[in-house]
Amino acid sequence: MVDKPVIVDKVSKTYTVRKRKGIFRSEKDFVQALKNVSLEVEEGEIFGLLGPNGAGKTTLIKILTTLILPSSGSVWVNGYEVSKHENEVRASVGCMLMGERGLYWKLTGRENLEYFGALYHLAPPLRKKKTTEILDWIKLEDIADRTVETYSSGQKMKLAFGKSLINDAPLLVLDEPTNTLDLPSASELRAIVRQLNDQGKTVIYTTHIMAEAEMLCDRVAIIDRGELLALGTVDELKTSLGWAKIIHVEGAIPARAVQAVRKMRKVRQASRANKNGATELTVVSEEGSEILPELIRVLIQNGANIQKLSPEEPNLEDVFMAKTGRSLADDTQVR
Amino acid sequence: MKFYWKLYLVVILASAKIRFLTILRYPGQLVLDTFIPIIFAALPILIGRATEGANAAEAFQRNTGTPNYMAYLLIGSSVFTIVSFAFWHVAYWLRWEQEAGTLEALYLVPVHRIWMAAGTSLYSCIRSIFTSFVAYFLGALILGFNPWQGELVLALVFLLVGFVPLYGMTLLYGAVILKVKEANALVGLMQWAVSFLMGVFFPISIFPPFLKIIAYLFPPTWMTNGVRSALLGVGYFMGNWYLDLAVLWGFFLLAPLFGYWVFNRVEVQVRSNEGIGQF
Repeated sequence: MVDKPVIVDKVSKTYTVRKRKGIFRSEKDFVQALKNVSLEVEEGEIFGLLGPNGAGKTTLIKILTTLILPSSGSVWVNGYEVSKHENEVRASVGCMLMGERGLYWKLTGRENLEYFGALYHLAPPLRKKKTTEILDWIKLEDIADRTVETYSSGQKMKLAFGKSLINDAPLLVLDEPTNTLDLPSASELRAIVRQLNDQGKTVIYTTHIMAEAEMLCDRVAIIDRGELLALGTVDELKTSLGWAKIIHVEGAIPARAVQAVRKMRKVRQASRANKNGATELTVVSEEGSEILPELIRVLIQNGANIQKLSPEEPNLEDVFMAKTGRSLADDTQVR
Repeated sequence: MKFYWKLYLVVILASAKIRFLTILRYPGQLVLDTFIPIIFAALPILIGRATEGANAAEAFQRNTGTPNYMAYLLIGSSVFTIVSFAFWHVAYWLRWEQEAGTLEALYLVPVHRIWMAAGTSLYSCIRSIFTSFVAYFLGALILGFNPWQGELVLALVFLLVGFVPLYGMTLLYGAVILKVKEANALVGLMQWAVSFLMGVFFPISIFPPFLKIIAYLFPPTWMTNGVRSALLGVGYFMGNWYLDLAVLWGFFLLAPLFGYWVFNRVEVQVRSNEGIGQF
């Protein structure tokens, strides 16, 4: 059972929080961040953990990396149960969790990497060699001896990513690593992740950018409100929509038009989101082009001004929408 | 995992090194720190001079065991600097990491926080010894008394033996801060409470009995009196230097263990709920 890099078995996590009821009064409240989640990560794959902000991705990652303890269920990482063998788990995982905040800003990039190398028990010569290699790889060698506080946000993110490589672990856990990166840097980082994967590293990659997961991940799990909604390869998830067809409508679309579309007989889901300043309506239907005349009529009758209408192949965003009835369009711009 | 001392020594040294590298990027603070104990001692010295009547030195000697009130107060404020640094460097350490955003990163490495705390304690120890020594000798020069009196080596032994229980105590306090997160208020209050109980400006013999018992439970009280007795001959609590030192050794063994035990319990509690990165 423990031969896979990651096994998550019926894991739930409930937080206790204080709910403010005024300046002095508060009461205990419970937030269920994960609900009975089970999944396995195969060796050598890039496993995407997808979902909107607050879905429970980071909670799951924090449990995998021993930062928090699950309320129930079991987790094994690289053959070690996380609640019993935390140091072995930590030694076998490279993590990038807090982005640029996981660095000492008053130290240089090189000093940061060497310090974390020491915490992973690397011998001094190996620590220095590894640090130079990583800095070269993430193209920060030129600014390696400047304090981190002088770095741009993207450079800090790159260094934080570099820090996750210092212990040369077989499993990499990357939590939204392309956040704050510009287009070329994000693409460069994805290429490094792919390269590391080709060298045999297993990668867990969380993102709320569905298109990023689609281009990088071998398998993905979609999490929303603490529940595992879907799990499989990108193709499997798209195919799981089965008969469903996706139609994207752009323009000025009032709420009542969306309501009217939802009431149409062959419409399974309809959700509205803002995209590049216009409103985009995504319709999941049992029919593709066949439904178009009726769809256009209903929209116009309800005050919509259609600028663009296109039946499309489903993507992960559509899978998410089909499963939840909500859209993530605003979050899925690939940088 | 097997335990190799050398590996953990590397962690201790690396943790101390990053704190030194950080503070060396604020050199002004290092210089200004040395004046704090002098100013701290100067306040009661000047009040004493302003209000002293006939036979003031005799009255001071009657209560404290020495007529050298300037050295008495400067030793008190120098030892208090060590205690204050211990609170701000070690008890506040986890909160400092939390605010910097690096605390979770430290929980991702295969080393117990106790070793990093040991590194932070080493940094605090070196920095506070340097600061308090410079302050003591500089203060002696400014106030005009001989700093080379008494048994300097024995005073140093009292300080060094007292460091370990002091850091054990602040680790325990660090665990409380990790739990309740009111770092500034807690450290601020506690350092002044300890300064009062350890007798920075007065002998604890003037305390009422219940307060005296509480004062005896704090290792800094024994450190301060040990140093004062070695340098100024004010008198050991137990009559002999080795008995007072034995009590400090008792704290040496118990305080870190108790601090470690409480720290682990709090850590598990925090990790069972929201996690250690939460403010």
